[in-house]
Amino acid sequence: MKKREPTAFEQYKSALLEAQEKMISDFFTKVGEHNALRSKRERRRICADFENALLYYSSAGVNIEDAVKRLAPENLGGFYARPPAAWYALDDAAKVYPLSMKHGTMAVFRLSVHLKKKVIPELLQMALTFTIKRFPSFATALKKGVFWHYLDASKRRYAVEEERDVPCRPLKISRSGSPSFRVLYYENRISVEYFHVLTDGAGGTVFLKTLVAEYLRLLGEGEFKGDGILDINEAPRISETSNDFSMADKTKNTSGFIDRPSLQLGGRLSDIKPCRILHFKMDAKRLVMVAREKNTTVTGYILALMFVAGKFATDEMKGNMNIQVPVNMRKEYPSDTLRNFSMYCGIKLDLEDIADADSIVGEISRQLSEKTSRQNMSEMMNGAKKLVASVRYVPLFIKAPVARIIYGFLGDKVFGNTLSNLGVVEFPEGLSKHIDSMDFVLATALTHRASCAMVTFGDTATLSISKMTADPSFEEKLFELLYNDGLAPDVEGSELYGY
Amino acid sequence: MDIKIVYPARKKRKIQRDQIIKWAKWPIAAAVFACPVVNICVGGPAWSAVALFSIWIIWSLGISPDLVEYNRISQVIKLIVNASILLILIDVLLAPGWAADVVPIVCFGGLSAAGALFFTDIDRQKQNAMPLFALIIVSMVVSAAWIILWRDEVRWTVIVMGALAFAMLVACVAILGGGFFREIKKRFHTA
Repeated sequence: MKKREPTAFEQYKSALLEAQEKMISDFFTKVGEHNALRSKRERRRICADFENALLYYSSAGVNIEDAVKRLAPENLGGFYARPPAAWYALDDAAKVYPLSMKHGTMAVFRLSVHLKKKVIPELLQMALTFTIKRFPSFATALKKGVFWHYLDASKRRYAVEEERDVPCRPLKISRSGSPSFRVLYYENRISVEYFHVLTDGAGGTVFLKTLVAEYLRLLGEGEFKGDGILDINEAPRISETSNDFSMADKTKNTSGFIDRPSLQLGGRLSDIKPCRILHFKMDAKRLVMVAREKNTTVTGYILALMFVAGKFATDEMKGNMNIQVPVNMRKEYPSDTLRNFSMYCGIKLDLEDIADADSIVGEISRQLSEKTSRQNMSEMMNGAKKLVASVRYVPLFIKAPVARIIYGFLGDKVFGNTLSNLGVVEFPEGLSKHIDSMDFVLATALTHRASCAMVTFGDTATLSISKMTADPSFEEKLFELLYNDGLAPDVEGSELYGY
Repeated sequence: MDIKIVYPARKKRKIQRDQIIKWAKWPIAAAVFACPVVNICVGGPAWSAVALFSIWIIWSLGISPDLVEYNRISQVIKLIVNASILLILIDVLLAPGWAADVVPIVCFGGLSAAGALFFTDIDRQKQNAMPLFALIIVSMVVSAAWIILWRDEVRWTVIVMGALAFAMLVACVAILGGGFFREIKKRFHTA
């Protein structure tokens, strides 16, 4: 019989001194104590992840004592040692996402951090293995109940993947225990793509920051806490998984979600969704200055440009253009939930009123401050709660097709574009020096030809556009407008994936 | 506007599900429209109901499968339920007199198959067991109703189906213990 070739790790182990070999054996005994997943294959894979990380440390010249200390199995906590027990009802905002999804269309968003050095996959895998336990509502699989979907705890090895495909493509969540997020790496970029049932942009940022902090700790760059980075070895707090829509102020009125359809940008909808991703990277200080010169906020200013560029990218002559603006409710309510806690408003202008940015910026600012007021947002949250309560006893098999039809006809078409501004993301000082920039990408909706999202880190504000049409008019006009205002963005992105 | 490419080239992929749906939906929609029209025009028994339900089975199991909880147990149960309904339709509309024997056989065969999938991998499958519980309950209720309402026409197939369903329910409760009721609580939550 042919003798099996020793694996790279076996070769590494055989070259160690006796004391070091014992240290490694003791180390893997401890790993085994923490790694009690029922699936033998999953257990083996987690062990292989530790082996790969140790091999990386060896090749990078990190001494074995230090490597073992960084990878201490205590970081696994009890996560992989206990069977899954927890489950989470979806929050009021998340309930619509599984109802409205279709094959090829899913509410996915993506957050990325661009590091200054190339990502080491072996360490990123270990960082995810250690981090996931701190986010129990992320370590779940979406399940179908009789009345609502819910998230059921799923204990498994959560794997990082090399990026090889279209960003924000739908996640495969149908199989047993399939996660509702994916962690990707490419060159010096770490990205996490989330299905919106799990969290919103703010919760997703906390996960990404914690993952990056853990990755850098494993890389030996120090330990980082604060500025929204969670201690991965601390027990998760109940408040982090709560449905905080119950916090809404009591209001006499509730507001609905139905409105007249908005004008859509021109261009044929692509088969591949999104068909292109673009990032406009701008000087953040200059952007704030330009917005102030126009007596508005950065969101107000970008919205004004989007309206002008939108008008340029459609052949329609009249009608309303409505841009959806998500609003983070954590700014109004003291919440540290990692679930969805965002609402949205629509900024609406008549096409005939859109001439240039300066002429519409005042109206946009007025609508922004009025529609995002605590009163209006509370009315909307109460509207959402009322809607959820009114259909709570309707079985899912009736609710799902009805919701899909209503969402297709009304929910999606009410808006022609989206601008989600995550604001300024801060990291602890020691960690910031390892990061170049961040970006935030939304998956496209059913009919929107473009969806925009923005995030600022350090001196760089990144406006990302997800396209669902090959027609480049919108982004070209937006670029021209920014350029004319002295912002001259650096444009990065993907190739055109298809028409 | 110069674009610096910072994403990898898209890998060549197999045909995607949404493309299959896109291509299949028009011929299927045409068939859904044509069957009742032809049936009405040529007259005779309502074979188009059987055809429409068969198209539904092909669509829901083959072309546009479940987006959530697509697992072996759920698919076996779905197949059994759909097959049973189809057999009843054929019996009622086209060739009467045999479904009362055949459908219980299909059901207890399906229960056995789903039970085998469940009991051989309990740790993983306990989170997928709800469709099995539902079929167990339905089989028990149908058997009990049959025995009560048509005492003189009780067939061995109905007794076997009810007995097997009851035995499986007892086994599930015994094995899962509190987990069984936790699973029920999750599945029936209204919050």
